[in-house]
Order: sequence, then structure tokens, then C-alpha cells
Amino acid sequence: MEPAEIAKLAATLDLLWQRFLPQMLERIALLETAATGCRNATLTEAQIRAAHNAAHNLAGSLGTFDLTRGSVLARELELMYSVGDGPAPELAPQLTSLAAELQSIVESRK
Amino acid sequence: MAIDNSRARADNRPLEITATVAHKVLIIDDEDDIREVAALSLESVAGWEVITASSGAHGLTRAAAEQPDAILLDVMMPGMDGPTTVGELRKNPATAAIPVLLLTAKVQATDQRRFADLGVKAVLFKPFDPLELSNQIASVLGWS
Repeated sequence: MEPAEIAKLAATLDLLWQRFLPQMLERIALLETAATGCRNATLTEAQIRAAHNAAHNLAGSLGTFDLTRGSVLARELELMYSVGDGPAPELAPQLTSLAAELQSIVESRK
Repeated sequence: MAIDNSRARADNRPLEITATVAHKVLIIDDEDDIREVAALSLESVAGWEVITASSGAHGLTRAAAEQPDAILLDVMMPGMDGPTTVGELRKNPATAAIPVLLLTAKVQATDQRRFADLGVKAVLFKPFDPLELSNQIASVLGWS
């Protein structure tokens, strides 16, 4: 591809990112809710499933928008929520920290 | 490959025929963002025609009606998932021979063994590079 075509593709990707940003942030909010539930030992089966799906979707999406580190973190969260009964309460600080870093990565993309 | 026919027109010579192979690819994925980026990638980078479906069931209908040259199929979808969709495509004579490439964010070894048994052409992984996706597909399918 010519540089001009690559630039055009990148610009269109930026527009798509803006369109899908609210969806990304909603997914992160689900991860934050689940982390809080884990910390308070109130995590429900539905929250575990929602967090797992949100992490899976983010893992697949973020790298496509050039946020490779975001995909790596989301994959880590996906694995943590893959456990049948959900992550153990002692993992709550890590869940919170990962969700916060994801939020920061997503918000930093223009 | 684009051919500049302006000199031929100026010299009144016969025009060259542009040998463009426009493949048609069906993308089946329930995630809007992935579907749109993949479509943008294949259309912009490779110049292919792209049609889309947001579920396995819708994908079966579109595949039979549109007869794409290949199907890029998400694995994890609500309702009919990717592997089930492959099975349904194979049962229908109208879609049985269409090559399928799975697109997945799943990387566990058990998943990979399961995918190998489906008879798909390849398993491509999310996240993908929008600049490279069409090259990966073309390479697998022998499209030059």
C-alpha cells in the first residue's frame, strides 16, 4: 500500500475507534464491577460470566486498534474469570489494578 | 494492479485489460467492532468485496445466497458458535465447499485441537493487524 493509503486506513480506524469507544468503556465498567464484587465477596455467577465475556472481547479488539498491551491485560483477566467459581478474593487487588490499567490505556488512545 | 491506459488512448492503441481478481469474503462475527475493522481491512488493503453477518444463523443464509469465495468465521458467538456453524455449512451442498478460516481470540491448546478437527483452512488469531489480515487470508488460500 502507498503511504497515503495507509494514512487513510489509519484515519478510518480512528473514526471506528471513536464510534466503538463507549462500548469499550462499558466492557471495562463490567470488569470494575466484577473486581468490586470479588473484593466484597459478593461476586455473582452472572457477573463472572459478564466479566469473562468483556475481557474476551477486549482481548480480541484492543490490539486490532494498536493497543497491544491492552489485549495482553484483557487476556490475563479473561483467564482469571475462566475459573468456575470466579477468581479467589485475594486476587481482588490484581483484578482492580488490571481493570484500572485497561481504562487508562483505552482512554489514552486518541 | 492498476494499468494506466492514458498513453494507449493518446496513441490510439488498443487498451490493456486490467486483470483484477476481486474475491468475495463473508465475515461472520457477533462483535461489531471486529466485523467492521476486518471488513475495512479486506476492502481497503486488498480491494475485495466483503459481506457480513452478525450471527452463525445469518451467516449460513448469506453464504448460501451470496456464494463467497471464503468465509472468515468467529469462534465464540452466542447462539450458534463458530464450530457449529462450520458443521452446518458442510451439511448444505450449496456451502459445503466454501473454504472457512476461523478467527479467534481463544488460544488454549484444547481449543486448537478442537479446531484442527473441523477441517477449516486455517485458524487466525485476534487481535489481528488490519494491514496484514488480507495477506494472511490470501496466503492460506493461494490467492496471489
